Amino acid sequence: MTKKIKLKISARLSKKRFRKQSQTAKKHCRFCSTPELEQRIDYKNAAFLRGFLTERGKILPSRISGNSCLHQRKLSKEIKKARSMALLPYTTQFF
Amino acid sequence: MNRYETLVLAVPEITGDETKHIEKEIVQVIEQNKGTLLSFERWGKYRLAYPVNKNEYGVYFLVRFETDNTDLPKNMSNACKVRLNAIVMRDMTSRLDTKASLAYQRPPSLEDAPTRDVRTFLRENKMEGLLSSVDAEEQVTDGSDYAAEVADQDVHDELD
Repeated sequence: MTKKIKLKISARLSKKRFRKQSQTAKKHCRFCSTPELEQRIDYKNAAFLRGFLTERGKILPSRISGNSCLHQRKLSKEIKKARSMALLPYTTQFF
Repeated sequence: MNRYETLVLAVPEITGDETKHIEKEIVQVIEQNKGTLLSFERWGKYRLAYPVNKNEYGVYFLVRFETDNTDLPKNMSNACKVRLNAIVMRDMTSRLDTKASLAYQRPPSLEDAPTRDVRTFLRENKMEGLLSSVDAEEQVTDGSDYAAEVADQDVHDELD
């Protein structure tokens, strides 16, 4: 009896395999490594928080920024506070 | 003792008297609720991220206070919304960590930024060729000013 060969691999698995094989450095949370930076997560410090928004004003996912779960939660909370005080945009203007 | 801070967003056309009025009202609320005022800061004028009450600009104030009374933050926002309704557009009270330092960073306001001349801008960006056009424009505006003055004088003469 011949062994069945899996011909099709799902996109998710192929991506996972690619990530394992690739030589690029692993993403790490910048706030976990430097505690001074963690104090800058504040709704008043809008210039710093702006770095965690996309061009259209959405919050950048931790998948891209590499933040840990705890810091991503803190960050998103402060961004939402800053938005309600008109320091940061909810969205960019229509064009 | 709990520490709180309130960020107040006021209308851009705020006058000095109205600023004093806001401070007086806030100090009154804090005193009534047995709290102590730590600081009252005026951040300055800012361009808002989106228009609030059809205003593109706004003036921020940061108030910090200490109290044991848990009703004070609620009373503070009530005072901002009811008593200072005409001047204050938005307000937000949040609790501070008592162990953390009071130092913070804020975005630069429009009043902090230095105003720049058109000529210096052109010189810095190596666009000297456009300087003559600026001169020409100024001459035109000077002429219009002169015309306006003449018109004013005429009106005054007629009134006399």
